[in-house]
Amino acid sequence: MHIYLPIAEMSVNVLLFLGMGAAVGFLSGLFGVGGGFLMTPLLIFSGIPSAVAVGTGAAQVVASSVSGAMAQYRRNNVDIKLGAVLLIGGIVGSVIGVKMVRILNLAGQFDLFIALAYVTFLGVIGTLMLIESIHAIQRTRSGTSRALRQSGQHNWIHRLPLKMRFHRSKLYISAIPPLMIGAFVGFLGAIMGAGGGFIMVPAMIYLLRVPTNVVVGTSLFQTVFVSAVTTVMQASENYSVDVVLGLILIVSGVIGAQYGAAAGARLKGEQLRLLLAALVLLVCFRIGWDLVVTPSELFSISKTFGVP
Amino acid sequence: MKRVRSLTFRRPLACLIGAGLMAALWAGLPASDAVAQGTGKAETGGQAQPGKASPTPSDWRDPLRKFAQRKKKDERLPAKADQQPKEVVEADVSTRTIAVTSAFTGTEIVVFGSVVNSRQPSAEAGYYDVIVVLEGMPTPLLARRKSNVAGLWVNTESVAYESAPSYYAIASTRPIEEIADEPLLQRHAIGLDFARLAPAAQSVLEIEPAELKTYKDAVIRLKQKEGVFIKADYAVIFIGKSLFRAAISLPANVPVGPLTARVYLFREGDLLSSFQSRVRLEREGVELWLYRFAMKQPVLYGFFAVLLAVVAGLLASAAFRRRDTA
Repeated sequence: MHIYLPIAEMSVNVLLFLGMGAAVGFLSGLFGVGGGFLMTPLLIFSGIPSAVAVGTGAAQVVASSVSGAMAQYRRNNVDIKLGAVLLIGGIVGSVIGVKMVRILNLAGQFDLFIALAYVTFLGVIGTLMLIESIHAIQRTRSGTSRALRQSGQHNWIHRLPLKMRFHRSKLYISAIPPLMIGAFVGFLGAIMGAGGGFIMVPAMIYLLRVPTNVVVGTSLFQTVFVSAVTTVMQASENYSVDVVLGLILIVSGVIGAQYGAAAGARLKGEQLRLLLAALVLLVCFRIGWDLVVTPSELFSISKTFGVP
Repeated sequence: MKRVRSLTFRRPLACLIGAGLMAALWAGLPASDAVAQGTGKAETGGQAQPGKASPTPSDWRDPLRKFAQRKKKDERLPAKADQQPKEVVEADVSTRTIAVTSAFTGTEIVVFGSVVNSRQPSAEAGYYDVIVVLEGMPTPLLARRKSNVAGLWVNTESVAYESAPSYYAIASTRPIEEIADEPLLQRHAIGLDFARLAPAAQSVLEIEPAELKTYKDAVIRLKQKEGVFIKADYAVIFIGKSLFRAAISLPANVPVGPLTARVYLFREGDLLSSFQSRVRLEREGVELWLYRFAMKQPVLYGFFAVLLAVVAGLLASAAFRRRDTA
C-alpha cells in the first residue's frame, strides 16, 4: 500500500512508515523520551530527504509531547515561569537553527552536519547514561541510595546576575543559564528534528538543579512550544514539513507509545536507562559508520529544497 | 512542480546567468549551452547540444538566431529529394494528462504513431527505425562528490547544472548507436549521453572538461538508479507496415511537471521526420491542495501542520485516558 508524499515528492509504503512510527512510539513510551532523535535518523535511512525528515520530525514532536505536557500540567508538574524563560531561549535557538539548516542545505553540507551532530550528542549522552545506569544498578545491588538533588549546593551558575525566583521549582537563580540551555536545545531541535528532551532533562537536573518532579513537565511544556515554532519556521523557510508523512508517523507513534508506556511500567528505572543508553549508542554508531566507511557511490545529486 | 518555486528563485537564477555571461565575455572563453538554455529557449524544442561546452563563441552571442536556424534546419531535414511521397511520422500518447494523486504509484504511457507513406513491406522488415524520447522539464540540479577529509566522507566538490531533464526515457526499435551517427543524435538530444545536461557557466570555467565528463556520467548513472533515466532498446515495436507503439514507464518518483514526447523516424541513418507531443503530469486533489498550500502560504501551512499535530496528539491522549479508566 503506497501513498504519495506531497512535499517529499515520493511514493512510500504506508505500512513501512506506520511500523516505523509505532516502533519509535513504543520506544519513546517505554523510555519516556520524545523519540525524535530516533525518528529523524530512521527517516533519513529510509530515503526521506534529510531536510524533510527534520522538518516533519518537528511536527511529530509537537504531537508526541502535547498530550504528555497536558497531563503534567494537570498534575501541577509544570513550572510555567521557568518554562517560559526556557521557551524564550528556545525560540531564539530555533530561529537560528532553521536558518542554519537553510544555509547548510545550500552548501551541501547539511547531511554531514546532521550526522556529526547526531554522532556527537548521541555519543556523549549515550555514554554518560550508560555509565550512570551501570553505577545505579551497582548501587541498588549493594543497597545504598543517593538523592539526586543536594540542596544548598552551589556552583558557578548561581553566581550569575539577573536573578529570578522560580517558585514552583523552589529556585532562586539567574535567568541566563535557562535562557542559554533553552537556546541550545532549540537550536539542536531545529537542526536535528528532535525535541531535545534528552539534553534538556539532564541539563535541568544537573546544571539548574530543578527538582525532578518538575523537570519532565517543564521540559515537555517548553518542547511543545519550541517544536511548534520550529515546525512553522521549517515550513516557511525550508518548505520541508510534509503533513501526510507527519500524520502517518503521529498516529502510529501515539499508538506505539501507549504499549511502550505499559511495557515500561514493568521494568526498573535503571534497567530502562541502560537499555536506552545502548539504543542511543547503537543509533550513534550507525550514523557514524556511514561517515567513515568508504561509500560505494561518491557522487550524489540533489535538487535544492525550497528556494535554492 | 518547479513552477511555483520558480517564482522565488527566478531572480537569483537570472543573476547567476547574468554573472555567467559576464564572466564568459570577460574571459573570452567559450560559454556553455547553459547560457542559451537559461534564457528560456530550452523547452521549446531547440536542438541544443547537451552538456559539453560548445566551441563556437557565436553559440552564446546570439542564441536567438541560432535557435531560429535550428528550427529551419529541422523543417528542412525530412526533405530528401525523392520522387515518391515523403515519409512523415505522426504520433500521439495514450494519456495526455496524468494525475498525481496520493495513490500515485507510477504509470505507463504508450506512445503510438504511424509512418505516413510507409514503404515498409511488413512489420518485421526493419525498414524504418523509430526512436521515442519522453522528456521532463529542464530543472536545475546539483551534483556533489564526496572525498575523504580527515577520515570522514564529506561533500567537497560540486557541479551545478542550470538545467537537466527531470526525467528522460528513450525507447527505440534497436540500439540507437546502430540507428544513427553520434552527431545527429547529439544534435537532437537523443540518448541518455546526449540528454541536455547544461552545467552552469561558473562550473564550466572552474572545472576541467575531463572532470565535467565524470560528473555528467555520475548524474546519468544516479538518475538511472533513481529510475528517472530510462533506456529501452527494442521497445518500439512496429505492429503493421506503418503503425508502431512503445510503452514507457513513469515511476512513482517521476518529478511532477509537463513532459514532452518526441518521435523520430530514421531510415538508414537519416532522419526522415519527427513529431512532438505533450503529456501533462499534474498533481490533483489533496496532493495539489497541500502542495499549493505549502508553497504559496508556507507560514499558514506551518500553523496548519502544528494544529494537525496538536489535534492528533490530544485525540490520542483522550483515547488513552479512556482506556486507562476502563
